[in-house]
Amino acid sequence: MKLSRRHFLENAGIAAAALAAWKIPKGVLASPAPAASKVATGLPGSMGAKDVPSVCEMCFWRCPIIGKVKNGRIVKIEGNPKSPTNGHRVCARGNSGIQLIYDPDRLKYPMKRVGERGEGKWARISWKEALDEIAYNMEKTRKKYGPSSLALFDHGASAGFYRQIFKGMGTENYTNEPAFFQCMGAVSLAYVMTYGYKIAERVDMSHSKVMLFFGTHLGENAHLGQVREYIAGLQNGAKLIVADPRFSAPSNKADIWLPIRPGTDTALLLAWINYVIQNDLYDKEFIQRNCKGFNELKEGVKGYSMEWAARICDLKLHDIKKAIDMLAASRPHIAIHSGRHSAWYGRGDVQRHRCLAILTALFGAVAVPGGIYFPTSIDLGESDCVECDAPEDVEEPDTSLKDNYPFASYFGSPTAEIIKATRTGKPYPIKLWGIGGVNILHTIPNPYETMDALRKLDFVFSIEILPTESATWADIVLPEANYLERYDKVYVNHDLTPYVTVRQPVVKPLFEAKSPFWIAKEMAKRLKLDCFHCKNEEEYLDEELEDIDLSLAKLNKEGGLVRLKGHPYRDPNKPIKVNTDSGKIELFSGSFDDEDMDPIPKFEPILAPPKGYARLVYGRVPTHTFSRTMNNLWLHNECPEPMLWLNEEVAKKMGIKYGDRVVIVNQDAYRSANLVKVKVTPGIRPDTVYLPHGFGSRSPLLTKAYKQGVSDQFLITRYVQDPFFGGSSHRTDFVKLIKDGKTLDIPELRPVPPEIPRFEIKKV
Amino acid sequence: MSQYAMVIDLNRCVGCHACALACRAEWNVPVPYHRNWVEDLGPEETSEGLSYTFFPAMCNHCDHPVCVEVCPTEPIEKEFRDPKTGKTIKMAAKATYKNPINGLVLIDKDRCLGCGACVDACPYGARYLDDTLDEPKADKCTFCIERLERGEVPACVKTCPVDARIFGDITDKDSEVHKLVHKKGAKSLTSKEVDIGPNVYYLGKKKDIELLFRKCAPHKRTWESVKAPSRRDVLVAAVKKIRDKV
Repeated sequence: MKLSRRHFLENAGIAAAALAAWKIPKGVLASPAPAASKVATGLPGSMGAKDVPSVCEMCFWRCPIIGKVKNGRIVKIEGNPKSPTNGHRVCARGNSGIQLIYDPDRLKYPMKRVGERGEGKWARISWKEALDEIAYNMEKTRKKYGPSSLALFDHGASAGFYRQIFKGMGTENYTNEPAFFQCMGAVSLAYVMTYGYKIAERVDMSHSKVMLFFGTHLGENAHLGQVREYIAGLQNGAKLIVADPRFSAPSNKADIWLPIRPGTDTALLLAWINYVIQNDLYDKEFIQRNCKGFNELKEGVKGYSMEWAARICDLKLHDIKKAIDMLAASRPHIAIHSGRHSAWYGRGDVQRHRCLAILTALFGAVAVPGGIYFPTSIDLGESDCVECDAPEDVEEPDTSLKDNYPFASYFGSPTAEIIKATRTGKPYPIKLWGIGGVNILHTIPNPYETMDALRKLDFVFSIEILPTESATWADIVLPEANYLERYDKVYVNHDLTPYVTVRQPVVKPLFEAKSPFWIAKEMAKRLKLDCFHCKNEEEYLDEELEDIDLSLAKLNKEGGLVRLKGHPYRDPNKPIKVNTDSGKIELFSGSFDDEDMDPIPKFEPILAPPKGYARLVYGRVPTHTFSRTMNNLWLHNECPEPMLWLNEEVAKKMGIKYGDRVVIVNQDAYRSANLVKVKVTPGIRPDTVYLPHGFGSRSPLLTKAYKQGVSDQFLITRYVQDPFFGGSSHRTDFVKLIKDGKTLDIPELRPVPPEIPRFEIKKV
Repeated sequence: MSQYAMVIDLNRCVGCHACALACRAEWNVPVPYHRNWVEDLGPEETSEGLSYTFFPAMCNHCDHPVCVEVCPTEPIEKEFRDPKTGKTIKMAAKATYKNPINGLVLIDKDRCLGCGACVDACPYGARYLDDTLDEPKADKCTFCIERLERGEVPACVKTCPVDARIFGDITDKDSEVHKLVHKKGAKSLTSKEVDIGPNVYYLGKKKDIELLFRKCAPHKRTWESVKAPSRRDVLVAAVKKIRDKV
């Protein structure tokens, strides 16, 4: 592979050669700053408050915000009007950030475990004792079992700081974001291999003529900038095609809804690719100029007919023809959404998103209005302040957790492999975990295995804001300042109109909560790591901003955000240069071929539900983020528990009525801990049930979320690992329902074609 | 007289609840009450196919507010000033009244007895009795009059991620709301049993409007069965409460 793994990590976000680096030209800063509002606390509501610009973290979409402060208390959060993506708007969660600060269940002090792991019984200790204890255990474990016996699970804005500490300790297990292995690994890899950069959903929906979503449920998934672009697209007259086994919120706004059989998306996409090639619907000039491997693609997909796809996918031939013709008629101004959460079936996930990437290229919908686009490169200064180097004398373990997955190193060690190694000691022992900003028991499939691993550890520490169930397993828990109380890093947005902004404290941290920077700096000091030199966050941020002629002070003079000029579109008369091995868009993936993986996507059937079962799928509600916001007073009030979507015909046959309460039982006989209300609707396939994600907290310390609703995650016990990077699947579990103590089979209304084998339940 | 009104465009609305939360934050509306809220509707069959839409709801600032009708307080003369023209209008107003300048239905909290008659009367369930207060008072959406008076838009309008809430004076023929109602066919939520002139309108696909009306249009003439307590009863209750405290 010419594209080295290190190279990938360094360039993952940015298209390299094609785009010139950005510096702020003189004059940009001359735009008038918004008038500082006079603090007049006598005014009603949020009016007259002091405005502090910052960045949201109620989800990782990270909209620029304004915190409104009266008498030292934050009274409201609004969008930063200078932001080109959200302007003065924030979503339900963004509006509810106040309740994260003032949640009485917050972790207030460093604590030490006094009960069993998982009980959440702790005693208050000092920061000094807590940090000394963590450093002592990290050093002791490393000495006894080697550096890679330490593993970090992280997510969110603070991840970068803690990752440096683990990297500095020499472990190979320092970057293992569940965000990749459980979420966007497959789509990232697919687009990196095709286009040389991580697409990160840069899809120009607002200028598109047709949009295509595969499972993407914008609106229910409230990534605000994207939701705005999608609705702007519709308002500008764009058509919408949605493939989803459920009649999602965007399905309602769609011109064509394709209620596709779960697990068959790649069949439809391959048939479409073949149809486009056979019927000369593709952009020949674009392909010739910019793509590699067209002939191999043509050859590879020629067996996939539309009739075959209609049967495999359980869709109407007329509908799938109409959809692809609709897309072809408007090329290149079509927005084929890349998707984000793509850890669906384990096998075939990367290839599904490769198909989306390839279809996009066939239509030339690349770096044109309405298509996918390249991020504008903005070269921040490189402060080496927080960079910890791995010790030179450390050797990588003989057998790496990444060995079986040729592309795992792009992301880190597969979380499933860390858990396996922790449970079995193979290929080497893992004895210490750090967990920061991620509730792993509600994120990684088979939480029962995760709990088993947690029991086997010598030491586990958690850095959290709330006492989540994952935190309750920690020996030491550190209270982190939340996003409204701290600085983080510089945020550069590379979208259509790029901008630079920073997160900064709107109010002072409550109790003894500390910023991630401070915590990591204190750890580095104790572990004698040669990093975190700069005095404080302000100095670090100024160093980062220096090369684009900015500083924290200058940025704040501009209302906390500076817009830059984007270069999202290509010159149609020039070839584009992309950051792949060949410098071309790779319809045929050389890197995959080198690793004996299919260079052209193929259809691999995903096991169908056993007789009597339906597939469990999940998604988001707009009022919650993952399992993170269920204890938020306001958001809990909006949506305290999810409903289970069940097909109307199926429900009738089972004798289940709207609002009935049932227990869910999966193929491994795991049952939901609580009853769930059934939403009987024609808006879901008969072979599928749908449960919004993240509910059913098992932490008694979360007084509002505890035992509220049913957890999808605790029913996802069977998972399949992705052969490319080792991610773990989430849509490979099957369920029945129990009503009034009686287990009810799910009747099969849509027969499974013989090409799709069924999952077989092993009789014990 | 002007009449403030709102049009909610269901073609834009994604059902995200930002409006409900911005309102809660702006006015510190206590849980579990709502001045404005969102209900999910469907997916259900309609005559135009499946519909999965939303009901963003709030006080309709009706032309014939039945909440005002049932308010048991003594009307007293109040002077209202039009900020645009400087003209004043005198009107006898109860604790709940319809502002003759801008058409807003408002509550004079100092005079509200907390009897709850208006809460029971509203066919839209748009009012609540705030039991978190020592002396419960009726509360509801004001279209953010305090913000309007200072040149700001309502909090829900400001936060709406997709600009689905269009606010303005419906008597002004050049206003967006006027156009959306009179030219684009935005509809207020009424039925043949209940039509009290609501000033919140909904725009959307035929199937979504059909589902909205099927599920959410009021049919019960709720105000007709409301027995407001006599003023004397309320006073006696209040005095008893004070005595209990002492």
